[in-house]
Amino acid sequence: MELLEPTREAFRLLFSGDPSLWRIIFTSLNCSLIALLLIAPLSVALGFIIAKVEFPGRRALVVLVQALLSFPTVVVGLVIYMLLSRQGPLGFLKLLFTPEAMIIGYMVIALPVLVVFTLSAVQGADPRVYETGRSLGANRWRAALTTLFEVRFGVMAAIFNGFGRVVSEVGCSIMVGGNIAGLTRNIPTAIALETSKGEFAQGIALGFVLIVLALGVNIALSILQGEGGME
Amino acid sequence: MTVLVLELKSITKNFPQRELLRGVDLALNSGNSYVLTGDNGCGKTTLMRIIAGLEPADGGAMRFEGMEVDLDRYPEALRQRMTYVHQQPYLFHTSIAHNIAYGLKTRGVRRQQREKLIADAIAWAGVAHLRDVAPHKLSGGERQRVALARAKVLNSHLLLFDEPTANLDSEARRHAIDLIDELRGGDVTVLIACHDREIIDMPGMKRLRLASGRVSAV
Repeated sequence: MELLEPTREAFRLLFSGDPSLWRIIFTSLNCSLIALLLIAPLSVALGFIIAKVEFPGRRALVVLVQALLSFPTVVVGLVIYMLLSRQGPLGFLKLLFTPEAMIIGYMVIALPVLVVFTLSAVQGADPRVYETGRSLGANRWRAALTTLFEVRFGVMAAIFNGFGRVVSEVGCSIMVGGNIAGLTRNIPTAIALETSKGEFAQGIALGFVLIVLALGVNIALSILQGEGGME
Repeated sequence: MTVLVLELKSITKNFPQRELLRGVDLALNSGNSYVLTGDNGCGKTTLMRIIAGLEPADGGAMRFEGMEVDLDRYPEALRQRMTYVHQQPYLFHTSIAHNIAYGLKTRGVRRQQREKLIADAIAWAGVAHLRDVAPHKLSGGERQRVALARAKVLNSHLLLFDEPTANLDSEARRHAIDLIDELRGGDVTVLIACHDREIIDMPGMKRLRLASGRVSAV
């Protein structure tokens, strides 16, 4: 297979500001970031509660959330599809094959990643953090926020990993987004489509963007962790 | 006239296969300093943590400044009137100034006043030269001094110190003892759990001993 020419074409598309290509990149980033913004507060709070609060069924909940980590995203897509389809219980919302449906899917996919990483960060925190906050007069809420702030690099790692999972996700995006050009076509679904058509240039360009995003996120995280002065 | 700050009646605390506190009675008067001694593992830390609301008691009653304290639902307001300093104080990974500001913020002290109190506390603890050093890079003695400054600035009615000189070298220990001595007096009541002879022998220090799950005056 000739790779040089499609690669050259890929970079031309990227740097010439090809509108259809950048629209795909925008859709990916937009849906992923909105989903993370919406689900992060709930997931981080859940991770903290599971880590710090003893309640019946806690162990089962941890197992369930961990199991959800390896849940196929296409199955998540299938469930959301059934909920949002015209005959489904949420069909009246008319969200199927819209960016909003993709955002819902991404939220479901990101939730266990964020919960498990936050849970692990909080469990790894020095137990004196929360107690120090409490003994200095903080209420439970403030002491909890203090603990999360102390493990902020772990929480950031949770969010960055969640982003990595949703931005590269294909199954759910196709199921509930429908891969509609200019509306719900995102980086991974476009790569799958273009490659199947034998159009490698756009696939390579988008793949390059995904790799840059993944590297950028990891480099940013390691810089932040370095500045955090790990003990 | 002596004013009771803290009164404990029949405080009990059990751990699996161990009855740690078997009915502790304790009365602390305002402005007095107390040292609590006892063998390692006798329950000194647990008792202080119960007083500070960091651990529940299994039974008993507590009154603080004349008010009955529900030990099952420890009142939030009480946390702002007493301060517990851990044996190995934890400093938040921010800055020394932020560490000292933390308790002031929970009490709603305004920024301008806070800045002045922080500067005074930093000077008092002799850590001004460390102001820009990350807290987790401080030595044990320096951490203890910041923790003492963090406690002092709050003007708490009751200060609880858990082994404040343990694991410190001689110079750091000297600093810590001097600072603790300065914190005593006035309306502040101080309860120190320790084995340090110099603290035990401080003038005016009232001695308590925890043994067999009960506290007695020595």
